[in-house]
Amino acid sequence: MTATEQHPRHRLDDLLQNPVRFSIVAALDRAGTLGFREVRDAVEITDSTLSKQVALLESAGYLAVGKSFAGKMPRTSLALTRQGRAAWAGHLATLREIAGDHSQ
Amino acid sequence: MDTSPAITAEEARLLLGRADRLSRSAHNATRWPYIAFILAFGVATSMGTFAMALATGDAFGVAYVGTLFVMFALLIFFMVSITGRSAFSRSRRWTGYVASWFVTYAAAISVVIWAHGSVLLAGLASGLILAVAMICAGREARA
Repeated sequence: MTATEQHPRHRLDDLLQNPVRFSIVAALDRAGTLGFREVRDAVEITDSTLSKQVALLESAGYLAVGKSFAGKMPRTSLALTRQGRAAWAGHLATLREIAGDHSQ
Repeated sequence: MDTSPAITAEEARLLLGRADRLSRSAHNATRWPYIAFILAFGVATSMGTFAMALATGDAFGVAYVGTLFVMFALLIFFMVSITGRSAFSRSRRWTGYVASWFVTYAAAISVVIWAHGSVLLAGLASGLILAVAMICAGREARA
């Protein structure tokens, strides 16, 4: 079997196959920039789990993490990078292919 | 050796559905300050310009200062509430909202200056601000 004949699952992004990372990126897809707490609430995970997965996604270049202050309160914002968006789009396209939906 | 986990068509469909739901819910949960701001700002400027166009003397002063106060209070509340996700509002869509509000607001202020006391023109100009605000809020809700 040649590379072009491989099952589409081989093209799924390894990093995005983790359910928590998949959910984090899904939450950020439409919203653009979200606060740390907003992502935590949307994905329904603990702060420490989110921190760990965010660090992995950031080191892979998929996420941009911004730090700011609202008064004296620190705020952490999360946004997908261009690379992260491309990886997410490719991952979804592969999932659609596996699902048999070739409309998009 | 094949290390990629097998994934069935049904699993892929479930994952796609989950991604869509999460994406929508996260977006919807964070959109309310934007819609509330557009509506409140539209109502405040509409009522304010209507009052300014018809009021005279001290009442005009109260309408003028009151409108400015509410506008600035809403702007400050909005800036605070979107801290950390302001990139959301820096879009072509929002440029359109601001431009369309500004045009109708300028028309209403023109009525205040040059057609003061005209109920018909004041109603039309202020009603236009309200209509534009509602259209923008509706568009934002569907974005």
